[in-house]
Amino acid sequence: MMGKGEAPAPREPEEEEDTGGVVKLISAEGFEFVVDKKAAMVSNTLRNMLTSPGGFSETRQGEVRFPEISTHILEKICQYFYWSLHYSSGKETAEFPIEPEITLELMMAANYLDA
Amino acid sequence: MSGGGPPRKRNFKIEAFKQRVELDPKYAERTWKVLEHAIHEIYNHNASGLSFEELYRSAYNMVLHKYGEKLYDGLQSTMTRRLKETSKSIETAQGGLFLEELNAKWMEHNKALQMIRDILMYMDRTYVPAAHRTPVHELGLNLWRDHIIHSPMIHRRLLDTLLDLIHRERMGEVINRGLMRSITKMLMDLGPAVYQDDFEKPFLEVSASFYSGESQEFIECCDCGNYLKKAERRINEEMERVSHYLDAGSEVKITSVVEKEMIANHMHRLVHMENSGLVNMLVDDKYEDLGRMYALFRRVPDGLSTIRDVMTSYLRETGKQLVTDPERLKDPVEFVQRLLNEKDKHDKIISVAFGNDKTFQNALNSSFEFFINLNNRSPEFISLYVDDKLRKGLKGATEEDVEVILDKVMMLFRYLQEKDVFEKYYKQHLAKRLLSGKTVSDDAERSMIVKLKTECGYQFTSKLEGMFTDMKTSQDTMQDFYAKKSEELGDGPTLDVHILTTGSWPTQPSPPCNLPTEILTVCEKFRSYYLGTHNGRRLTWQTNMGTADIKATFGKGQKHELNVSTYQMCVLMLFNNADGLTYKDIERDTEIPASDLKRCLQSLACVKGKNVLRKEPMSKDISEDDTFYFNDKFTSKLVKVKIGTVVAQKESEPEKQETRQRVEEDRKPQIEAAIVRIMKSRRVLDHNSIVAEVTKQLQARFLPNPVVIKKRIESLIEREFLERDKVDRKLYRYLA
Repeated sequence: MMGKGEAPAPREPEEEEDTGGVVKLISAEGFEFVVDKKAAMVSNTLRNMLTSPGGFSETRQGEVRFPEISTHILEKICQYFYWSLHYSSGKETAEFPIEPEITLELMMAANYLDA
Repeated sequence: MSGGGPPRKRNFKIEAFKQRVELDPKYAERTWKVLEHAIHEIYNHNASGLSFEELYRSAYNMVLHKYGEKLYDGLQSTMTRRLKETSKSIETAQGGLFLEELNAKWMEHNKALQMIRDILMYMDRTYVPAAHRTPVHELGLNLWRDHIIHSPMIHRRLLDTLLDLIHRERMGEVINRGLMRSITKMLMDLGPAVYQDDFEKPFLEVSASFYSGESQEFIECCDCGNYLKKAERRINEEMERVSHYLDAGSEVKITSVVEKEMIANHMHRLVHMENSGLVNMLVDDKYEDLGRMYALFRRVPDGLSTIRDVMTSYLRETGKQLVTDPERLKDPVEFVQRLLNEKDKHDKIISVAFGNDKTFQNALNSSFEFFINLNNRSPEFISLYVDDKLRKGLKGATEEDVEVILDKVMMLFRYLQEKDVFEKYYKQHLAKRLLSGKTVSDDAERSMIVKLKTECGYQFTSKLEGMFTDMKTSQDTMQDFYAKKSEELGDGPTLDVHILTTGSWPTQPSPPCNLPTEILTVCEKFRSYYLGTHNGRRLTWQTNMGTADIKATFGKGQKHELNVSTYQMCVLMLFNNADGLTYKDIERDTEIPASDLKRCLQSLACVKGKNVLRKEPMSKDISEDDTFYFNDKFTSKLVKVKIGTVVAQKESEPEKQETRQRVEEDRKPQIEAAIVRIMKSRRVLDHNSIVAEVTKQLQARFLPNPVVIKKRIESLIEREFLERDKVDRKLYRYLA
C-alpha cells in the first residue's frame, strides 16, 4: 500500500533538515510526517502552498502545521497520498481501506486539502 | 479522498467541523482583519512572515461559515484601494520611465494576485461558482484593467507611448523590445478585446497613414525595382516586429495594411512605370525584380492578374510585330528561331521569377497561340525550320540536342490552328529531303514523325510513314534489280529509282521530259523488270524530281564531277553533240516545262563559279532569245561541283496560293465526314450546333470556316445525305 520505502510512520518530534524533496506535515498533536513533495502534491491545497511564489513560511521551512487535523487522520491522509500516487496512473487498482469510525473526519480533511 | 469503492468521488456536501458550530459573532470580522492584513503584506513583499496554512484555514473557515460574500467583497475593495494607489505612482512616473514603472507594477500585481488566489483557493473553489462571481484571478485582472489601463491619466499616455516607440523604430531607432513585449503581453493577458481595442486598432490606423505617406514619397522618387525592394523590406520589418513584441494574430492585419498601402494602392502605377515597369523588367530579364514583384503582388487581390494582363498584352504586341514584320519574313529559319528564343526567354522568366505559376504559363501559351496564327505562313515556316535542322543544322548534335530542338518545334506546332497546312508543307519538305538524300539522321526524322503521331494521331502521319516505307522498298528493289540484271546492263549509266506510292507523296503530275537515249535504255530495262515482278502496276517517271551525277571534261582537259538535277542533266547532255544551242532548241529537244527550264538554265549559266554554260547575251535573267554555249573555260577548285537549282526555298506567291487551294480542297471531305459523323449519331440538329460540333471535332487539325461548313452542308443535302426539316428550316435531318 505504501509505494515508497520511506514509510510515513509517526515519529517523535525531532529536528529535520529541509531536503527539498520532502515536506514535513505536522498534526494537531505535534506529530511530524515526512513525505515526498511529489506525494504531498496529490493535495491541491498543499500543491499551491508549496509552489506559490513569494515565499510563505511553509515554503521556506519545508513544514506545514495542521492545527485542526489529528494525528491518526493525518497518517491516513499520508497513506492515501502514496496510494493515490501509486494507483492513479496505472490501470490496476486496489482497495484503500478506511475504518468506518474515522470516515467523517477524514472526509472533512479531504475537503480541506482538496484531495 | 473517498472511502472504499472507486476513489475520488467528490460530489457530496461537507458540513462544518462540528466543534465550531457555536460561532463567535466577532469571529468573521477578526478573521477578515487577519486576511486583509495578509493581503497588504503580500503587496508589500512581506509574505515570508505569513503562514499559508493559517491564511488558507482562515479563508476556509470564513467560507464554511457563510461569510464567503464578506470575504469576496473585502478582497475586491482591498485590491481596488491598492490599485488606485498604484495608479497614482504610475502616473507620476516621468517620461521614459512610465512604461517601465507600469511594467514593474504589473509584475508585482501579477505575483501578488497569484499568492492571493492561492490562499483564497477554497473560496474560488466553492463560493465563487455557487454565487456566480468572477474567480479571483480574473477579478484581479479586471480590476487592473479598470483602474490602471483605463484610468484617464494612463490610458491615452500608454497608447501614445507605444505608438511613438513603434514609429521611432520604423525610423531606425533602437527601442527596448523586451519592455514592449511585456506590455503587449499584459494587454493580451487582460483579454484579447483589451489588446485589440486599446492598442491594435489605433496601431493599424497609424500604420496605414504612415505607409500611405511613405509610399507616396517613394513612388515619386524611386524606380519600380527600388520601390519594390523598399516595400518588401517594410513588410519583412513588420513581420519581424510582430514576432518580437506583438501578438501573433496581428501579423496578418499589419501586413495587409502595408500591402494595401504600398502595393495595392500603387499597383497599376508600378506595373506601368516608365523605363522601369514590368515591361522593362521582362525585356531586360530582371529575374530578381520580377520575382519580387510576383511575391509582393501575390499578396494583394488582383495583383497577379494585373501582372498577367500586362505581360499578355506585351507578349501579344511584340509577338505581333515579330510575325508581321516583313523583314523577318525573309528568312523562315531565323523567323522560327526568334519565336523559339522568345519562348525560351519567357519560359525562363516564369520558372525563375514566377514560381512556375500555371496561370502565367497559360497566359504565355495563349499569347503565342494568338500571334503565331496571325501570320498564315507560320505553318510553312515552322516546317522549313525543321527542314533546315534536319538537312544540316543537326550535324554533330547529340541525340539529346536533337530531341530538345524537335520538342521545341512541337511546342510551336501545338500553337498552330492550321495543323493541316503544316502537314502539307511538312510532307513536301520531307519528300524533298528523302528524294535528294539530304536528310542527316534517319532517327531524327522518325523521332519527329513519332512526335507528330502522339500529338495528332495515326491519321495525321500515316502518309508520312508511307514515304519512309517507299524509300526502304525502293532500296531493296534496286538491289534486286542490279543483282539479277547486272550482266544485261553492261557499263551504261547507273540508275537509282525511287518507287513512290501515288497518294503518299506530294507529287504533282508533270509530263516527263525527253531523256537522253543512254538513260532511256536503262529506264526501259527497269520498267520491264519492275512490271515483270509486280503485276498490274503502272510506272510514270517524275523527271522533275530526280538528280544525276555526270562526269564532264572541260577545255584544258580538267575533269569535274557535276551533281545536277535530272532536267539539268538533260540539258547538258545536249551539248555532247553541239557547241551552241538556242533557248528554243533546248526547249524543243527536252520538252522541259518553260518555268522549270528557265530556272535550270539560270543555275547552269548565271551562277558564278558554277557556270558550266555560257550565255549570249550576258545577263542575269534567261530570255527566250538567248543562246547557250558549252563553257570551255570553266574552272573550279573542287573536283565535285554541286549545281543547285535556283529554287526559292520559301514558296513564291503563286505557289503559296496553290498550296492554300489544295489545303482548302483537302478540308472539304474532312468537313463533310465530320458532318456525317455528327448527324449519324444525332439524327436531327440545328445549323449552329452543327457548326459548333464540327469546329470542335476538327480544331485539332484546323479551324474550319463556318461559311465553308455551310457550303458542305448544302452539298450533302444535294447528295441526299441530309434534308432540311419541313417545318423548321434551320433543322437538318440525317437520311440513312
